[in-house]
Amino acid sequence: MYEIGRICVKIAGRDAGLKCVVVDVVDAHTVLIDGQTRRRKCNVKHLELSSQVIKIKKGASTKEVYDEFKKLKIDVRETKPKKAAPRPVKQKKKSSVDVKSKKADKKTDKKAEKSVKETPKVESKKEESKTVVSKETNKESEKESEKEIKEESVKPKVSKDSKSASAEKPKAVKTDKK
Amino acid sequence: MPQGYKKSGSLRKVFKKMPGGESKLTYLARNPSVHKCAECGKELKGIPRLSSTKAKNTPKTKKRPERPYGGYLCSSCARKKIVQEVRRS
Repeated sequence: MYEIGRICVKIAGRDAGLKCVVVDVVDAHTVLIDGQTRRRKCNVKHLELSSQVIKIKKGASTKEVYDEFKKLKIDVRETKPKKAAPRPVKQKKKSSVDVKSKKADKKTDKKAEKSVKETPKVESKKEESKTVVSKETNKESEKESEKEIKEESVKPKVSKDSKSASAEKPKAVKTDKK
Repeated sequence: MPQGYKKSGSLRKVFKKMPGGESKLTYLARNPSVHKCAECGKELKGIPRLSSTKAKNTPKTKKRPERPYGGYLCSSCARKKIVQEVRRS
């Protein structure tokens, strides 16, 4: 009854009333169809048979089915396959951070100036000021190192735009949690 | 005594609480009843009970099922009709 190449009409769903062809038999209850309908599995109870049979290979592609349908003068809607869109990424809220960044800018500017005076090879960029600060922690006393650790925790939040900050983030965050 | 038009059967009484704490009487329009199948009379599914003004702003796909005879016939009656059309041809 439900052999490969048998033309049927779908009864249920939004494809109801459209013609299709049996492309493959999966179970005693399910069948693969294609044609005017979408290419998918279908329950046998949702199909109504007709008397026509076509010559088709097992597991034929949609192009081969469309060519056969055009010979029978059945209109078919041709569609192009869509590319899957990338998953949307949740962006973290920046409103709570911007308030802190303004306060942190003042602190970092003051201490960056100090680090500039002490070391000769320092430029105005924040990225290089951090590397300078991290080197100084080993040399200076514990009190100053604690302050600078807090700065490091605050600094990467400030300059989210710079990609080097993301590399330094895990170091600073771990110290705060302790 | 309420005004004459407020006594009609197309309105219903509702007690609303005001911000001051008092509750006042208001009259609201009634929603339409459930839609039914044209052949067998069963209640149709997938159709919200909206007044005409609210239905204007909802999209077409959210007012009826995406199926031939959706919103007019129930699913079982629609299947019978499609089978009859296939067997005639």
